[in-house]
Amino acid sequence: MTRDSERPADRVSRRKFLLTSGAIGAAGLAGCSSGGDEDTATPEPENDDGGSSDGSDGSSSDEETSGDASSSGASEPSLLTGEGSSTVFPIANKGASYWNGNAPPSDGEYWGENDEGSVPGWSEVETDMHLADYFASQYGFEATGTRSSPPYRATIGLSHSGTGCEAVTSGRVDIGNSSGPITAELGWSEEKRDEEVVDHVLGRDGQPIVVSQDIYDAGIDQLTAEQVRKIYQDEITNWSEIGGPDQEIFCIGRAVGSGTDTSFRLNMLGDAEAEMSGVDTRQGQNQGVAQLVRQNEGAIAYMALAFTGDAVRPISLEFDGTVYETSPDAENTIFDSEYPLNRDLHMYTQITEDTPSGTDMREGAFMRMFLTTFGQQVFVEANNYIPLPTADLEAEMAKLPDTA
Amino acid sequence: MATNHQRDPDGWQSRLASRFARFAEFVQDTENDAVAVGALGTVALLGAFASFLVTSPYTSVFLAGFLAAVVYGWVRHQELAARGVTLAMTVSTVVILALITFFIFYEAWPILADRSGTVFGVTVPGLGMFTTTAWNPATASPKYSMLPMIQGTVLVTLVATAVAGPLGVAAALFISEIAPPAVRELVKPGVEILAGIPSIVYGFLGFTVLSPWASDAFDLVGQGTYLFVGIVVGLMALPTVVSVAEDAINSVPESMKSGSLALGTTDWQTMTTVTIPTAFSGVSAAVLLGVGRAIGETMAATVMLRNTPTVAEPLYNVFYGFETLTSLIAANYGSSSGLQKDALFVAGCILFVSVLALSIGSQLIERRMDRKVGGVE
Repeated sequence: MTRDSERPADRVSRRKFLLTSGAIGAAGLAGCSSGGDEDTATPEPENDDGGSSDGSDGSSSDEETSGDASSSGASEPSLLTGEGSSTVFPIANKGASYWNGNAPPSDGEYWGENDEGSVPGWSEVETDMHLADYFASQYGFEATGTRSSPPYRATIGLSHSGTGCEAVTSGRVDIGNSSGPITAELGWSEEKRDEEVVDHVLGRDGQPIVVSQDIYDAGIDQLTAEQVRKIYQDEITNWSEIGGPDQEIFCIGRAVGSGTDTSFRLNMLGDAEAEMSGVDTRQGQNQGVAQLVRQNEGAIAYMALAFTGDAVRPISLEFDGTVYETSPDAENTIFDSEYPLNRDLHMYTQITEDTPSGTDMREGAFMRMFLTTFGQQVFVEANNYIPLPTADLEAEMAKLPDTA
Repeated sequence: MATNHQRDPDGWQSRLASRFARFAEFVQDTENDAVAVGALGTVALLGAFASFLVTSPYTSVFLAGFLAAVVYGWVRHQELAARGVTLAMTVSTVVILALITFFIFYEAWPILADRSGTVFGVTVPGLGMFTTTAWNPATASPKYSMLPMIQGTVLVTLVATAVAGPLGVAAALFISEIAPPAVRELVKPGVEILAGIPSIVYGFLGFTVLSPWASDAFDLVGQGTYLFVGIVVGLMALPTVVSVAEDAINSVPESMKSGSLALGTTDWQTMTTVTIPTAFSGVSAAVLLGVGRAIGETMAATVMLRNTPTVAEPLYNVFYGFETLTSLIAANYGSSSGLQKDALFVAGCILFVSVLALSIGSQLIERRMDRKVGGVE
């Protein structure tokens, strides 16, 4: 205590300390980042070159071209237009972006394969044509063989489900995107729907029920809707009550008032204002839910399928006597539209005199892209939506025109 | 009493009169163009404020007028202009703070009026939010109780203070009085750099490392405990406490310490009987600043807690962490509307009032200690 209390500023000054630690930090950062930027330079495929030419133009001429597209194929096909729900938009727009990019089979990231890898589902395609060329040529369109120049362009507008349904039925666009059935959006009867439009379902929106790995390993790979309800309403608090290990249930819900929360209350608990007294924690985002399920034992949650994995296992659900299984090949699956937490994402096309089947060649080629393994994984699952099970894929494929 | 009553308004009036006289004198003495520009600038600024409040498109016109007046004044009468501008800055700071305060309470009012209760025949707005314990905004009859969040904030703050207070004061004492100069000059700036780490980093560490560990170690259902949120928040408040407390201890005059040592006390006796009591006001201000940081800490609490407002039982149970006032706002602002949104503003009001009380409290302590120890009146 006898020392002078003046600071020996000449030894190590605060500024020196800051400078040194800053320099060390910067050097460390530089070392880390040098290896990290391999493919950031790859540009996104351009998607809306044709977007400025408006939709009414495109679809009025489409009725002329669409009829004879299969026979001639050589006349310039018109722009394919779509519009509607913001929920369907990510799927449709990503598809249109890929389509307009018309990537060559050597691309590897957007289409085809190269040294660094191949796109999902490539083994089913294995073609030497560009992306849009491959699908369009199946319907008689002439391949361009050029990047960024598809046989015809596709553009997707963003509005609402009801607006999209109206736009397609009045002929302003080719495809109407809707997250609800057109019968509900426009107040139509089912007969009117069957007369006027064709309903294409290319993906689903929903949340399967998941449990943590320890519970799955202990044999809980199926629950009944009643059990799920009791867990979320605090009537079952231990896994041993429903045949599991002696482990208290860690019940994870979603942010109060969010769409996922409301839909869960409505479809699983039977009332949009149902009590959820059993919930131990609430998370706003799928990532947070997945992390919690991974980190904790005895956890149950509901979340987007894309975030499930080894330690976050989706389970089968028995609802009204039907068992919805996790395998996409089963008769009833958690990917079905009947699964209580799912809803269909629709793309409607109009039935006209020229196309009595309701789906012309341009629409057919575009939609076929979504019904491949490639399309389901890249456009549907990568956007956190639920891919179609095998049976539905076959049924949807049957709605499209026959390939040439 | 009566004479006081009569004299006071008189004094007030005469003071006002002399103010006016001084102002008139000032206007007389100042050059005409300076007075004109000053008046123009004042009117333009008031006009800008008024049109901002009514969201008029002419706000920018008034603002441009004010700026023009300032520029002219700066060129022609720099000294007067500087006085005017600094005054305007001070006034606008106070006005902005007042407006924010008013807005928080204004937004909270609908639910306070909706949930009023009656005590001894007097209607108290918002009482219903403090006499029940359920927070349940999504049911048919929504319940908005603030008690779970108040409990959470109190528990987290207590734990954080228990961590940051002793650790911070001890570290400050070591750095200031015990450590050799070289160590002190390295450690002090190092501790201050710690204060710059963003709170989400602490929260993320807590979420991925501490919470799962606590869940296993204490055999809890799931993760999220007030205890570990408190510890993390305490660590975050530590640099503030160390830095401010060290400054306070360092400012104790060397002569006092030397005098004590000359009387034959040991270093430790001098520290405990002279240095710490002398620096007590500064040290307690440091701890209170740390507590203020702990109350307002949002990110770490939101990430680590369960976000299911529930009263933990028993009341001192820190092993389950549900919600604090700050994390309630952070977790719900996006999906709330109507009364639920107003309830979030009530949480903001409670935070505002408690931090205000803390800062006033720390000022009072400081003043009292100054009188008692420093001999400063």
